[in-house]
Amino acid sequence: MNGPLIVQSDKTLLLEVDHEQADDCRRAIAPFAELERAPEHIHTYRVTPLGLWNARAAGHDAEQVVDALVLYSRYPVPHALLVDIAETMDRYGRLTLSKHPAHGLVLTTTDRPVLEEVLKSKRVAPLVGERIDPDTVAVHPSERGQIKQTLLKLGWPAEDLAGYVDGEAHPIDLREDGWTLRPYQKQAVENFWHGGSGVVVLPCGAGKTLVGAGSMAQAKSTTLILVTNTVSARQWKHELVKRTSLTEDEIGEYSGTKKEIRPVTIATYQVLTTRRKGVYPHLELFDSRDWGLIVYDEVHLLPAPVFKFTADLQARRRLGLTATLVREDGRESDVFSLIGPKRFDAPWKEIEAQGYIAPADCVEVRVNLTDAERLAYATAETEEKYRFCATTATKRKVTEAIVRRFAGQQILVIGQYIDQLDELGEHLDAPVIKGETSNTQREKLFDAFREGEINVLVVSKVANFSIDLPEATVAVQVSGTFGSRQEEAQRLGRVLRPKADGHQAHFYSVVARDTIDQDFAAHRQRFLAEQGYAYRIMDADELLAGEA
Amino acid sequence: MSGDEKPAAAPRSLAEALRARDDASLAALLRARPDLITPVPTDLTQLATRAGTRASVVRALERLDRFALQTAEALAVAGDPAPYGELLALMAGDDRDPETAAALPHALGALREQALVWGDKDRLRLVRTARELLAPSPQHPSPTGLGPTVQEAASGMSPGRVQEIVAAAGLPSTHDAVSAVTALTALFTDRARMSELLADVPADSLQVLDRLVWGPPYGQVTADPAPRLRLLLDRGLLLPTAPGTVVLPREVALHLRAGRAHRTPEPVPPAVTASAAHPAPVVDATAAGQAYTALATVEELLKDWDEGGPNVLRAGGLSVRDLKRTAVALDLPEPVAAFWVELAYAAGLLASDGEADERYAATPAYDDWRELPPADRWARLARAWLAATRTPGVIGDRDAKDRTLSALGPGLDRSAAPEVRHRVLSLLAALPEGGAPDAESVLARLRWERPLRGPRRDGEHDLRARLARWTLSEAELLGVTGRGALSAHGRALLGAPPAPAAGHAADDVPAGPGDKLPVHRHRPPRPAGDPHGPAPLTPAEQADATAAAARLLAPLLPEPLDHVLLQADLTAVAPGPLRRPLADVLGVLADVESKGGATVYRFTPASVRRALDAGRGAADLHAFLAEHSRTPVPQPLAYLIDDVARRHGHLRVGAASAYVRCDDDSVLNEILADKRSAGLGLRRLAPTVLAAQSDPGALLEGLRALGYAPAAESAAGDVLIARADSHRTPPRTAPEPVPDGPPAPDGTLLSAAMRAIRAGDLAATAPRRPPADAPPADDGALPRTSAAETLATVQAAVLTGEAVWIGYVNADGAASQRVIAPVRVEGGFVTAYDHTADEVRTYPLHRITGVAELAEEAAADPS
Repeated sequence: MNGPLIVQSDKTLLLEVDHEQADDCRRAIAPFAELERAPEHIHTYRVTPLGLWNARAAGHDAEQVVDALVLYSRYPVPHALLVDIAETMDRYGRLTLSKHPAHGLVLTTTDRPVLEEVLKSKRVAPLVGERIDPDTVAVHPSERGQIKQTLLKLGWPAEDLAGYVDGEAHPIDLREDGWTLRPYQKQAVENFWHGGSGVVVLPCGAGKTLVGAGSMAQAKSTTLILVTNTVSARQWKHELVKRTSLTEDEIGEYSGTKKEIRPVTIATYQVLTTRRKGVYPHLELFDSRDWGLIVYDEVHLLPAPVFKFTADLQARRRLGLTATLVREDGRESDVFSLIGPKRFDAPWKEIEAQGYIAPADCVEVRVNLTDAERLAYATAETEEKYRFCATTATKRKVTEAIVRRFAGQQILVIGQYIDQLDELGEHLDAPVIKGETSNTQREKLFDAFREGEINVLVVSKVANFSIDLPEATVAVQVSGTFGSRQEEAQRLGRVLRPKADGHQAHFYSVVARDTIDQDFAAHRQRFLAEQGYAYRIMDADELLAGEA
Repeated sequence: MSGDEKPAAAPRSLAEALRARDDASLAALLRARPDLITPVPTDLTQLATRAGTRASVVRALERLDRFALQTAEALAVAGDPAPYGELLALMAGDDRDPETAAALPHALGALREQALVWGDKDRLRLVRTARELLAPSPQHPSPTGLGPTVQEAASGMSPGRVQEIVAAAGLPSTHDAVSAVTALTALFTDRARMSELLADVPADSLQVLDRLVWGPPYGQVTADPAPRLRLLLDRGLLLPTAPGTVVLPREVALHLRAGRAHRTPEPVPPAVTASAAHPAPVVDATAAGQAYTALATVEELLKDWDEGGPNVLRAGGLSVRDLKRTAVALDLPEPVAAFWVELAYAAGLLASDGEADERYAATPAYDDWRELPPADRWARLARAWLAATRTPGVIGDRDAKDRTLSALGPGLDRSAAPEVRHRVLSLLAALPEGGAPDAESVLARLRWERPLRGPRRDGEHDLRARLARWTLSEAELLGVTGRGALSAHGRALLGAPPAPAAGHAADDVPAGPGDKLPVHRHRPPRPAGDPHGPAPLTPAEQADATAAAARLLAPLLPEPLDHVLLQADLTAVAPGPLRRPLADVLGVLADVESKGGATVYRFTPASVRRALDAGRGAADLHAFLAEHSRTPVPQPLAYLIDDVARRHGHLRVGAASAYVRCDDDSVLNEILADKRSAGLGLRRLAPTVLAAQSDPGALLEGLRALGYAPAAESAAGDVLIARADSHRTPPRTAPEPVPDGPPAPDGTLLSAAMRAIRAGDLAATAPRRPPADAPPADDGALPRTSAAETLATVQAAVLTGEAVWIGYVNADGAASQRVIAPVRVEGGFVTAYDHTADEVRTYPLHRITGVAELAEEAAADPS
């Protein structure tokens, strides 16, 4: 009766982290509960049907779940909740997708009424073929993803036992010279490979690329890697050449500028989702080779059309990589049904504690608008309001003060509005990377920054994703894409890569007080605060005074 | 029982049998059938009469368990009186099923006790009314599925036919039908001879008998039956009852059934089985956790309604919308929310306020209740629940008038509820400790105990089964059970002794160990269907049981905490229930994000502002958090409070009726300094603005009186030109002219009036033939003829189709003359076309004073 866990009526689980059994408890509940918030004292996990089915997919049963809750709970667990958990988990696996020697892909059931129920659904009817026997119905092989998605929505998730095609073999090995996969990366690769397909959740900077490389070395087959943008594609290529037996020639880039198809091909979401005359001309990429593995980088950004294509790729192994399963569009269930269940995750703070990502000091600096700006803000059109408050002149002064304070360290200034960035670049005497900067110029500047030739770099949101700036120790965010939580996480990620000298990273967010900028900032920070990154709040005056 | 005790004087009537019973036994009867003493009968004869009335017998039968009822049904098909042996044969069959045989004396005892059966062992008599109710008849087939006896079936047959049957059955012919029937009956009841007889019957005919043997015993035959039927009919194995219908005589059926009246006698109540067993500490802890949740939920409900709950519907009760809203506020499904609302109502914690605009609100008793220790609070709720007849489960059903039943509304009382609730919990109490019952087995047991109160009653869908299910789910909600098993405090609440040790579950005998029947019962324990099961506790016993339950529960309830954990993501977690003042303050300062064992609060600018509005200062809040937090107050939270406090009260809002403004602030100084301005309620808001509490008119007057020359200002700030307003009424219509006489009639009205006048005239003036044997009446007087003559004349008029002239006195006694053309005369009424009224009317003959034929010319005229 003195466990570390408290079960709430809304199916959240509160875990007291300072409790002596906290670690055991976390391990026991992690398979079925999603970590929702991880502030300093009490972590919040949520039990959702999706999470429970994830657990079933990973081979856990209801009894284990109930036992874990009952064992660690401080207060008695309401009976109704236990019954509900058992019933929900029981829904998984009543339906199975499998290969039938004569009929191809079939949906079978162990519980006939369930099959009758789902077959009655209008959405399932077009996906299935003839009834083979009372418990079996044929499924059109092309609808394997669709039917999984639909059945999940009906609350009867199907277990996919139809297996995978091996794909075209291609030798890939990790070249572990002077480095090895970290334990959690190994674990992630192992869990993924064991499970067949699925998603690995790791914090930014925790080496997701290496999990991808490790998985490729396991698959040893041709691989299609889908990434968010060209810079990221180059980085993947660079990393793969460096860490694996693959050579430059074996890796192709399929983007707006190049259209190479090689045994390992890296394509951008953008090129795949380009539409011409109502068709997606680059879809053939999926069929251009007999891919054995498909890697989705940044699954939480996966655009809707890619889900649709993915539905057709259910026979191939799929690996999703992401820092967070939170999607701003709420399509987490599509990730589950089409790419696969979560196979591995680790809280940020834990990896930080292991020394694999740098500790960060997050500070929100509140600046006051001048009287003139306040009036302008008050009278601005709604859509202009954010721009007005986000680009206040005071932010420039604060940014300069921060840059002065950390003079000599590698500093990134990140913002949304080009005018503001140009002005900052001018005042800080730093180069500005924005949409119109060419890729060559970008890489040149990044290299210079990496080498320490430049200390301060001003970047727009083009640098949001996957750029690797190992020596950035300070980031200053002056404006952002409204309230995007994952952008904030990505930006913080810029400074979380472990520092050579092991010193602390700093993340500054400059926010205009009493405006929607402040509201957006609060929304953006919520994810990080929930991950345990506590923001300090400072007044601009304090900061400016401190330096004077 | 009484008969057995005094074999010497066999009673000849129920009254005598009752007279022979001792006091304890009579008391048992009256306890079992309380309707017999309302009002108290004057003597035993009257008591016996009352015990034989249909209403009372029906009530008593409904309270019988299945086996006792089966016994009564068997007696109804046995002879009257019947010896015990015959009853035993009917119940236990020819093979004397030992289980049934063993249970039969108890069942018979129960029937005797309830005065449904009397007479000594060799002459058992079922009360006549009960016999009528239970004996099979074509209209009311008995559950036994037996048909009439040979004697009854043969009563309508010709003696010749009877003799034929007797001959076909191989019996010697007799001289009269009565002895023939007796011989046939004797043959049919003799197992050995009957077997011989049936041995000759071919298989296809036996199949026919097989179809009828367990009832219904009636079958249809054609006028020319097939040979296999013919054979059965010839031998009397089937007897005709009505043309085309045959019946299997009771004696034959009993032979084929090996003597059993029931296909499956159920002497033993179906056992309540445990579907799971949990360790007792787990059960108690789970129940206690739920009990705490119950308290929290009721408090939250009433807190939600604190500043005025939802309106009372005109028909009484809570509207569907309000229930939905409450369910959302409590974060519960609607039926569960309805349960808590009803529970609070049943416990007297909330009620309608009785104002003109009626709303629900907490009662003063709620405030007292809140002051009690948690365990006592729970015990109050649980006690109210046990006794309540209001059943939240039926909310949403429709009543007889097709109105939806609403929460807190009328029509929710189900008088069986407390009894079923008590019974279900007693069954749970009889399970071994920690055993959670299989709901279906509980329902089966309840059905066995009250077979006649099953699904058929009131067209309602098996109310007892529904009540039982609700009891199980509500007991779990309330924390009487945990994980489905009765908790220790739940057991104490029932006044039941500690659970039987595991392993004695099968020993779930009669009425459960909680049986509180007086000790006069020297007989073996009665079947569990005993209608008065565990007798209700007396108020004193109830109070003891409630206190005991509270005592058991108290140590299991979590101790309220005085601290929370504050986190940098602006949440506070209370890892358990909080002490009340702390919970109240925190509830204002932060929003509750999740509830359960712990409470998660989130601080937002709005919630902090709410605390500041409630009169707390920033410093105060900081101190409060520092005092109650186990962890240092996170910087973002401290900052949030300061940030909100900084802006709090920056803008001020107040009410003023008028204002004075003047560019010259010295003039305003003068006004304020003037003592005469005190009555205007002036206050300086800014150097050039005064706010006033008096209205603009009074302010203008006042300032003029002070010698100033103020000008009024419009809302837009323009100077108003003062000019007296013209006074206007609201919209009015002009009065209608009132003319001297009625308006001139139009064409339609005129023609209608003309027709009426002419018709009346015709009636009054039609030339009539004087009746032959009566002096001619004066013109204008009612015709007078004798009744026979009236009838004859009218009937003649029907035949000829002529109109006649009548005098008629209506129900008020007013006389009139009418010209009618009779259409029909029957049953003392004349139906006729009335020329006077221009429609078809019916006149009672006795109201017609006389009748006269019309003169020829007049009769032709009106058409």
